[in-house]
Amino acid sequence: MVKEECKALLDALNKVTACYRHMVLTIGGTSDSQNLREELKKTRQKAQELAVANRNKLTTVLKDKTVSKEDKAEFERLWVIFSTCLEILEIDMRRALELGHEFPLNVPKKHLIQTGMSGGTSGVAARAMSVQNMKYEAEHNIDVVDLKDLENEINQVGEMMYEMEMKVNVPQWTVEAKQDPGAELKSTISVGASSIGMISVEENKSFCDISKVLAGIIFSAVLIIAIVLAVCVVKLS
Amino acid sequence: MTVARLDQGQRHRPRMAFLKKIEALMMEMQNPDTGIKMQTQRVMITSIPHAVAGNDILQWILQHLQITQEEALHLGDLFVKYGYIYPLQEPKNLTLKTDGSLYRFQTPYFWPVQSWPADDTDYAIYLAKKNIKRKGILEEYEKEHYNMLNQKINYKWDFVIMQAKEQYKAGKERKKADRYALDCQERAYWLVNRTPPGMLDVLEYGLDRVTDPNENKKKTMDVYRREIMYYQQAIMKSRVKSSVSLQGLVKYSEQFLSNDPILSGCLPSNPWVTDDTEFWDLNSKLVEVPTRMRVERWAFNFNELIRDPKGRQNFQVFLKKEFSGENLSFWEACEDLKYGDQSKVKEKAEEIYKLFLAPGARRWINIDGTTMGITVKGLKHPHRYVLDAAQTHIYMLMKKDSYGRYLKSPVYKEMLAKAVVPQETVKKSSPFPFRRRHLRSSPSPIILRQREEEAKAKEAAATVDITQPSHHTSRAPRPAVYAGTNTPPSLPAASPGPPAQPHRAACPRPASEAPGGAQQQPEGAGPGPFPSAGGRSRTAALSFGRFLRRGCRASPVFAALSPRCPAVPHGKVQPLGERERRLRPDAAAVSSFFQIKTDAPLESRIYPIDSEEGEDNRHRACKDSAKEVICPWENPAEEGGAG
Repeated sequence: MVKEECKALLDALNKVTACYRHMVLTIGGTSDSQNLREELKKTRQKAQELAVANRNKLTTVLKDKTVSKEDKAEFERLWVIFSTCLEILEIDMRRALELGHEFPLNVPKKHLIQTGMSGGTSGVAARAMSVQNMKYEAEHNIDVVDLKDLENEINQVGEMMYEMEMKVNVPQWTVEAKQDPGAELKSTISVGASSIGMISVEENKSFCDISKVLAGIIFSAVLIIAIVLAVCVVKLS
Repeated sequence: MTVARLDQGQRHRPRMAFLKKIEALMMEMQNPDTGIKMQTQRVMITSIPHAVAGNDILQWILQHLQITQEEALHLGDLFVKYGYIYPLQEPKNLTLKTDGSLYRFQTPYFWPVQSWPADDTDYAIYLAKKNIKRKGILEEYEKEHYNMLNQKINYKWDFVIMQAKEQYKAGKERKKADRYALDCQERAYWLVNRTPPGMLDVLEYGLDRVTDPNENKKKTMDVYRREIMYYQQAIMKSRVKSSVSLQGLVKYSEQFLSNDPILSGCLPSNPWVTDDTEFWDLNSKLVEVPTRMRVERWAFNFNELIRDPKGRQNFQVFLKKEFSGENLSFWEACEDLKYGDQSKVKEKAEEIYKLFLAPGARRWINIDGTTMGITVKGLKHPHRYVLDAAQTHIYMLMKKDSYGRYLKSPVYKEMLAKAVVPQETVKKSSPFPFRRRHLRSSPSPIILRQREEEAKAKEAAATVDITQPSHHTSRAPRPAVYAGTNTPPSLPAASPGPPAQPHRAACPRPASEAPGGAQQQPEGAGPGPFPSAGGRSRTAALSFGRFLRRGCRASPVFAALSPRCPAVPHGKVQPLGERERRLRPDAAAVSSFFQIKTDAPLESRIYPIDSEEGEDNRHRACKDSAKEVICPWENPAEEGGAG
């Protein structure tokens, strides 16, 4: 079905955008490296391909006059999601360009910011590219070389967005969200025995729990001792 | 759907040059040799590297920049506040502590950028992510933001949730320590960019700007031409030597030091300190007896006098004695035009013209020919500032001429003697410090304004007695109608339209009123000088009485004018324009009897404002050189002849 296809494509674009955001976060930090730049490049290109595919599919559907009203509303909603996703992608790309200029990797004078990151982003990249392991085959000065391409791609995305806005007449504010506020809590992910919960940011909370447990133990111990003493007294008297 | 906003093209964020400078410093701090030494933060079981002690940051700044301790501390504090460094142990407390508390550097993605602000969509995604992680536990202000964003960007909400879920999942691909650090980073970023209530928002810059600081303007001929024009005008600006302006400041401060309630204390007591509002009561706008300080202040300069309502009142009394009260009335009328209801500008301007400026107006003010010309031309298209030139002229006239005499006059001296010096009240230290204070709220501004209007109307009614005694009966019930303007008593006679009609009707039958009026007139010192429309209704009897009082006035005037009366139509309701035409027949006769002390010829003074007064064959001048004003058209003879 067209709807399912569109949704799948959009989900893919969404995933790639999220991964791209994660990777751009680490530019300039200590886990920055040539690999990261290569990952960025690959993810970006994939994102662009997906964006083009999405756009083509959605524009054909929206131009189609034979769709029913509910379907049309649904496609308009997907269109709005798509254009917002593209906006976020563009912003991230611009940021990546700026940061790339600021933090070239092979200049000995320029030091990376020590942000506390030690691991790499290969897992994220693998998720974006939907592969098991990432293969790195770029040259060692990809960080500088890539910036030109990045600029071109930003222009391309900009043009695409402009075209989209001109050709497809879907006013954004007419779309109503299907999900209520707080819908994210009901999803399956929210069951969070995630390891993040272990290193809870509010460490006081865990301390409180420990202290409560400790207090309970002490109390019960005291109670037992009191009962034992009472029994002894009763027995002796 | 979109909110209409007055868009004056202000869309650009201002320059934030300090951001680049801080970034340069940040990068230098990372130098393994000359930078700050790193520590490791232990969190539960993991250890996360690259933590810095606050003291180390401070020492590094001191050494690297060679500045004082205070400055270095302030600078370091700013680094934390702008989000370049974030605290680890007390995340919400964005200050630099100089002990061993740990900080970490923020990742460059989260550094503040001049070109764009922190996006609402990103914030929504962050809140949704936080919701997922903490299972719905958000801070209060975050919950509010969440709801607000849900309404504001509702159409993006599906995307927000999708993206939040995806980012959360993608985050799981990283190692645990990194995830923790990422969390801290993001939280610190949003603490800086969406400050919780009560925290200072350092990134706030006021309004957006009109010009884009990032724009690289090509230097075309036009740009250069504009630059040259700008600089030429800048050179031509008049400058004041700093010694002169500083001297002025010093003089002002010295003169006003004793009047400043904060620097020199105030009597009876500072209401904010003692909760005693007597100070405000004693210094209210039109209090019966003003304080001594206030009255002395009127002697400092003319502006002080004229800006104080009580001062104006007192000055008006003095001016009336000198027969130049219309100057101040005109000035007040101009102020009302400038600051009053703009929808009534046209009417107000016309009234003022008819009352003060028109040839033969009741209260004609003496301004020179050019100013009159400018004003009348401007009145064709009236606006707020159309009477500015005339107002300035009158202001300077009063300042240079009347003000000096006022300060030496018995009116002022009397007020000074009457002025009260309030006793200083002792601050009562209450035995019950937590006693509930009895708070009285001041009266509502609406009520205050009504009271003012009533007072003005009363004054209008009261002063009418002195100047137009024959109209006492007809005029008294009317003042309340003219609440819009604050021109003094003679205005009721000059207003156009229906209210004037019964007045007109009263005019032709003065015979019945006048005798009564004559008795009612309490004659003060000197003749009643005001050129008022009431003159029309004065009877011959009254005129004779006035003639006697005036003494040296040429009586032939009245005799000569009386034959003119048959030409004057009576008993009809006339529009105001007619009144002008009626008055003009007097002028020609008058000019031959009076020595007109002006240099400008008669003809140059009269400029009719609209076409209906095109037939300006009769010119008339009334000169009013500050003191003795007898405007000939306000003689009663014509009425007497006609009635």
